[in-house]
Amino acid sequence: MYRTAAKRLLGGGGAFTATRLLRFPKLRSTIIPSSYTSGLCTSSVGGNAESPMGGNQSVNPNQSDHTASSSSSTSTGEGPRRDESRKPRAEFQEEQARVLSASLRHVPRLGWTEEAMMAGSRDVGVSPSIVGSFSRKEAALVEFFMDECLQLLMDKIDSGLDLQNLIPSARIAKLIRIRLEMQVPYMSKWPQALSIQAHPLNVATSFKQRAMLVDEIWHAVGDGASDLDWYVKRTILGGVYSTTEIYMLTDDSLEHRDTWAFLDDRVKDAFDLKKSIQEARYFAQDIGAGVGKSVQGLMNGVMQTMSRRSGGTTF
Amino acid sequence: MALRSVSRRLGSRILNHRSFVASLHSHATSFGFQEVKEEDKSKLVGNVFTNVASSYDIMNDVMSGGLHRLWKERLVGKLSPFAGMKHLDVAGGTGDVAFRIYDSIYSVKRRALQKVDEASLEETQIYVCDINPNMLNVGKQRAAERGLRDNKSLVWVEGNAEALSFDDNSMDGYTIAFGIRNVTHIEKALAEAYRVLKRGGRFLCLELSHVDIPIFKNLYDLYSFQVIPNLGELIAGDRESYQYLVESVRRFPPQEKFASMIADAGFEKVEYENLVGGVVAIHSGIKL
Repeated sequence: MYRTAAKRLLGGGGAFTATRLLRFPKLRSTIIPSSYTSGLCTSSVGGNAESPMGGNQSVNPNQSDHTASSSSSTSTGEGPRRDESRKPRAEFQEEQARVLSASLRHVPRLGWTEEAMMAGSRDVGVSPSIVGSFSRKEAALVEFFMDECLQLLMDKIDSGLDLQNLIPSARIAKLIRIRLEMQVPYMSKWPQALSIQAHPLNVATSFKQRAMLVDEIWHAVGDGASDLDWYVKRTILGGVYSTTEIYMLTDDSLEHRDTWAFLDDRVKDAFDLKKSIQEARYFAQDIGAGVGKSVQGLMNGVMQTMSRRSGGTTF
Repeated sequence: MALRSVSRRLGSRILNHRSFVASLHSHATSFGFQEVKEEDKSKLVGNVFTNVASSYDIMNDVMSGGLHRLWKERLVGKLSPFAGMKHLDVAGGTGDVAFRIYDSIYSVKRRALQKVDEASLEETQIYVCDINPNMLNVGKQRAAERGLRDNKSLVWVEGNAEALSFDDNSMDGYTIAFGIRNVTHIEKALAEAYRVLKRGGRFLCLELSHVDIPIFKNLYDLYSFQVIPNLGELIAGDRESYQYLVESVRRFPPQEKFASMIADAGFEKVEYENLVGGVVAIHSGIKL
């Protein structure tokens, strides 16, 4: 069935030029056939190095910058469209990133909404209809912001943050503080962002972003000598981060002093937790050893009695 | 069974027209399963729609079992209209899509939920363009029924999708619902759409498309070729027009081919979404 369709395509149509034939295989490979159920599955045409996921916003802005630079080096400015080696995906991602970045300026006033994004698009000089093509519109803006903050944090860490002289708990506190301070300008609208992230459609992406953030922080802290396993570490840090974030929503002390105090307490609790788990483990081992010894002694006693009874034969 | 009879009919038509085609000096194009001269196609299409104009809406309801409303809702949902937008609906004679866009922008609920600037609301312009004046008249009549006769936001324009009378970079949105298969040169219509849209503007096309699911495809073909022309005769008194309609759907390029044509016109982020297993597809693109 598909072969006949393909034959029909390639055989029919007098307007089928050689250039199109060349382009077709590439397009075919990146077109994802839409689902056959009457569903919301879309497929896209074009793009090459980009992963063919319909407008996935959790792509790191860094990545899109790389493709943007590569596309500008291969295409000669605004040449005729057919000369471009089909990098439409990269251009759209770039444009989207530009619009979202401009929209952030309007967020404190308009919230994480389509209005903010439309205002942002007007700033960039693009028609506001482009906002209609962002998947999960407001979530796109929030996710873009989260990615940007992560990128900023990584840059700050790379450009030499003085972490060596601090104990692990202080390092964690400092990194979380740096990250949360990036949210301060948007604090009035942050509850809305949190609710958008908690929306069932968006939970998967926001969870992934937070996981990346926590991972990054642990990596920067240097994964100190700890015998708690990987998941537990990240879960605990995720918990500390989230609770501090939520505390910050209602904190109106000067320069969020109360939040930082709260943060320090939570980190201390976490490390205390670690210590107490370790102590509990040692305690259990000791008990086990003690019990084991007594059981062993008991068993030995039993064995000796039995062997004496049965007249000296040993097993 | 229906397919075999169709192919036999097709075969006989091709045989009949081979000599006819040989004598043509201009390019030939398709009118359903017939081959006709290009100049004739628009006239023939015009005749079809003059005939069906008055019962167009009823026939839509009957043929699609009311589903066409859902499809148009989905199209407008995807468009996400906003206050102050300049929108062009091509081949939208009776105004189905245009009215939905209008309602979406002016709905009281939406205005309450979102901070809509009332001034920008005034700037909204929805242009309805159709090549057939009869269809436009039906649309204007429906507008009057809704109390929108003198509304400045809705503008009814007679025009050809291949040669629009609008300025470059003037539209935020362009929709064409069930119209592009009637256009003689699809590439020209796409090029015009590209010209007329602003940077960031969206192109959305709702069209009957190809079904590939094995058994469903046979059922669909049976329905198309056996049921629909009879319905056309029964309800609209016009079997030929509906025969044309069903045949033109089969001649239209399949989803991916059409998507690549849209991309060739210059649009970015070209995607398509199949509804009802491919009976209908919504193609979208952005001008950047």
